[in-house]
Amino acid sequence: MEEELMQIKNSAVSMIIDAQHQKELEEIKLAFLGRTGRLTLAMKQITKLPLEKRPDVGRLANEVKKTIEDTLRQAQGKLLDQESQTRREKIDITNPGVTPDIGHLHPMTQVLYEAVDVFKSLGFQTADGPEIETDYYNFEALNIPKDHPARDTQQTLYLDTRQSQSSPGEIILRTQTSSMQGRIMEKVKPPLRVIVPGKNFRYEQVDTSHGFEFWQVEGFCIDTGVRLTDLFGTIDYVLRKLMGESASRRIKLKFATTNFPFVEPGVDTYIRCTVCSGRGCNFCKMSGWSEIMPAGMIHPNVLKAVGYDSQKVTGFAFAIGLSRLVTLRYQMDDLRLLTNPDLRILEQF
Amino acid sequence: MLAPLSWLKEYVDTTLSPKELGERLTEVGLSTEKITKVDDDIIFEFETTPNRPDLLSIIGIAREIAAIEQKPIKYPKLKINLKPSPHLSSHLSSGSTKSVLIKTDPEINPRFTGIIVDNIKVGKSPNWLKEKLLKIGQRPINNIVDITNYVMFELGNPIHAFDYEKIIGRTMDVERTKGGELFKSVDGISYHLPKDAVIIKDKENVIDLCGIKGGFKSKTSEGTKTIFIRVPVENAILIRRASQALGLRSDASSIFERGVNKGGTIEALSRCVNLILEIAGGKIASKLYDIKNEDFEPWKLKLRLSRLNQILGITIPEKKVIGILNSLNLLPVILNRQLAEKNHSNKNRSFASLSGAQDDIRERVIECTIPTYRNDLIIEENLIEEVARLYGYNNFPKTMPIGQMPIKQIPYAKDYKTEEKAKNFLKACGFSEIYTYSLINEKDLAEQRLNPQHVLRVDNPVSREFEYLRPTLKISLIKAFFQNKPNFTKKNLFELGKVYLGKNLDEAKEAYFLSGITNAKNFFEVKGILERLFEELGVKDDPSNLIEILNEGVFFEFNFSDILKRVNLQKKFIPLPKYPPIIEDLALLMHEKIKTIDIIEEIINHNSLIVDVSLLDQFEDSRTFHIVYQHKERNLTSEEVATIRSRILKALEEKFKAKLKE
Repeated sequence: MEEELMQIKNSAVSMIIDAQHQKELEEIKLAFLGRTGRLTLAMKQITKLPLEKRPDVGRLANEVKKTIEDTLRQAQGKLLDQESQTRREKIDITNPGVTPDIGHLHPMTQVLYEAVDVFKSLGFQTADGPEIETDYYNFEALNIPKDHPARDTQQTLYLDTRQSQSSPGEIILRTQTSSMQGRIMEKVKPPLRVIVPGKNFRYEQVDTSHGFEFWQVEGFCIDTGVRLTDLFGTIDYVLRKLMGESASRRIKLKFATTNFPFVEPGVDTYIRCTVCSGRGCNFCKMSGWSEIMPAGMIHPNVLKAVGYDSQKVTGFAFAIGLSRLVTLRYQMDDLRLLTNPDLRILEQF
Repeated sequence: MLAPLSWLKEYVDTTLSPKELGERLTEVGLSTEKITKVDDDIIFEFETTPNRPDLLSIIGIAREIAAIEQKPIKYPKLKINLKPSPHLSSHLSSGSTKSVLIKTDPEINPRFTGIIVDNIKVGKSPNWLKEKLLKIGQRPINNIVDITNYVMFELGNPIHAFDYEKIIGRTMDVERTKGGELFKSVDGISYHLPKDAVIIKDKENVIDLCGIKGGFKSKTSEGTKTIFIRVPVENAILIRRASQALGLRSDASSIFERGVNKGGTIEALSRCVNLILEIAGGKIASKLYDIKNEDFEPWKLKLRLSRLNQILGITIPEKKVIGILNSLNLLPVILNRQLAEKNHSNKNRSFASLSGAQDDIRERVIECTIPTYRNDLIIEENLIEEVARLYGYNNFPKTMPIGQMPIKQIPYAKDYKTEEKAKNFLKACGFSEIYTYSLINEKDLAEQRLNPQHVLRVDNPVSREFEYLRPTLKISLIKAFFQNKPNFTKKNLFELGKVYLGKNLDEAKEAYFLSGITNAKNFFEVKGILERLFEELGVKDDPSNLIEILNEGVFFEFNFSDILKRVNLQKKFIPLPKYPPIIEDLALLMHEKIKTIDIIEEIINHNSLIVDVSLLDQFEDSRTFHIVYQHKERNLTSEEVATIRSRILKALEEKFKAKLKE
């Protein structure tokens, strides 16, 4: 009996090793392990043996069965690999893939959605407001009365008021998304954390880093006890995220004092120019740094204008130069690339 | 503003390298735009913020450097110090007294300081003076003009010297223009003055356009012997309006519209007179005129240490705060607690109640005395910025806002998720996104047969190319399509952007439009994309009328803002049917003009057991419809279906003369 079992094992294993196709293996499996297979039949004979022999023979039979099964599995695996290899060899796998017909989202959209997400994680809500704006929200509510010299830094496009009730000079294309500060603050009480992405317009000659239409992400945070260090921390975190900072791509930022009538203290944020890595180029006006995010603690007059008590609540506000951020992130050396609908540009994103 | 390092060094010893100095100045608020080496000197180019007229002077910049480097300032030494006294100056020789009759109004000319100097000799300036002016981009003219210019750039108060002999009638009337007056400036250019400019008239002519430019007739020239030197404080708003109306800017007007140092006129005049006597000779020939309604003295401003630390988020030691304020010459004095409370309790009750619980030691109040050249320091927060900027913004730690996460609905809220969904969907359908300008030109409108009269317009466009606010995205999409023609055969483009609707400003309405153009998809493919997009957004709109077939390809456009209002992203699961449906295809013959949608509606509305009907194919007058019958609770029998079918066929024959194809 033991001898027969060994024979079964040997012949099965040698047949398995010789097999060239899956089909042969299936046949071998059937011939040995199937319901009328040789091993199956042999194992049925064990019950006919004397009692004292059965455990040993039984153990042996099980070992034989396991060996055949293992060998089969190995052989099957090996054959599968070989067959797939042969199939691949029948085609030239270096031919190009057939690309699905999928378009591209504009880089501005991609960075904008990232900004919305990053700010959402910091508890900021998102708003959207009018581009056709009144002088009041764009300037006066922001502590920039008529005849204030700060208006020179934001040359304005005025809308034609003929055939309308508006008086000339009152209705403008907003020069900054900060116009939304007053609109939102006058309707709700703090705590507030809001961002407002949007397009702005200025009477400005176009060059590599300036456009008469450009995007900003306005933001403000107002609560009891909002501090300047919170502003620095928020800017630092957000810009590093949005510039895609990684171990191989270090972002350098620096802060400087500046003046906007609607903040005090006023902060300007500069980022090391990525176009030239700080060596100086046309984009950064040879300075190695690019102004990216003006900000500051909200001026008490702005808070007072919407009825907040500036002794009780404080806040910070900022405006990310989104158009410039996008160009800096992707090392594009001209802002105008963003409004150029050339698919050779768009398909890179 | 240009500032040579050599000139700055006359007032302050700086030990930093030019590069470091530029960086530090930028950090404290005087943005260094450029540092150039010229011969043996370094020229800084600064951009000055609107709140700091004092930084339009060399001494002002030197004071910033002194504060940064904790160094003293060396003011120029004067032999003669003019005194604001009603009596004649002690330097005045009584024999040659001269005078002018001044009529002014502090409302339009807050301060009029002046003096007459006699027996001067007008000539070329000494080399040191010419070189200094050249370094800051000023053209030397003659010693008198150069000195007035020099002192303006040195101290920040604009000065003008009139030829005394040419002031007809020896009268100077400061008044507002009525509009239309003719004025010829020192450089020989004639202007028609706007209304409400401030001018000085003598008996006959306008001899000065105040705060902007001096007049031609009374300018100092070769033969001038006697001059009247005027150092004014002008009304910032009037100067700004006149300068804008004329499109005429000068170094003086830049200073005045930001707010000149009101307390600095006599000091500047003294410096000017000293230099004139030294360089052009002559002697003082009149009393010191100083016509004003106010004293223009330094003012007090308080800073609470607790407020400083609360706003900045760091605790700066009192000693350090005092040190910084001292370096800025703000003369800080620590007031005791009692005094502090007395001063604040009336003004600010809320603060008093807040601070009551606070630590006594932290409740310290520092009182500063603000020099008149710092007219930007008006409220406590201004002093907080002073401390912060000199402490150095880049030395601050970084924290994140603490406190509540706001959750209540804000006005103007926008959910970007829907927009993102729509854009990603179009991307998946092969469309690439473009961003184009909102401003378009008249020709573009005409090409789309849009009446420019009914499109919102900018009054002062950057150029005619960008004059109108787009009422559609079609124009820029077609342009983008053609721009890509040379490089791409298949083009699928879309834009989601604002358009500006309404015939005039009263009706003006902004809306987001979603538009696209393609030459790689036909009408029905585009329709299918929009149908599926609407389904994705839970909106039941028929896109058939949103699509246009152009020569170039297929174009679609719709009001995305409208869709946004109706988006419904809520989903509810419908259990799968337990019983199999009966499906059949009916081939029908009917007139080609009959609309498929009418047939489908007729069939589907016929019986509630019909759950779906669709057009399978169409050829000439034959159309095959795919019909699904289903009962939710049991199996349908073919007899039931046959009955429904025959009724449908009967109805279709009656209504549409449609026949079952044999």
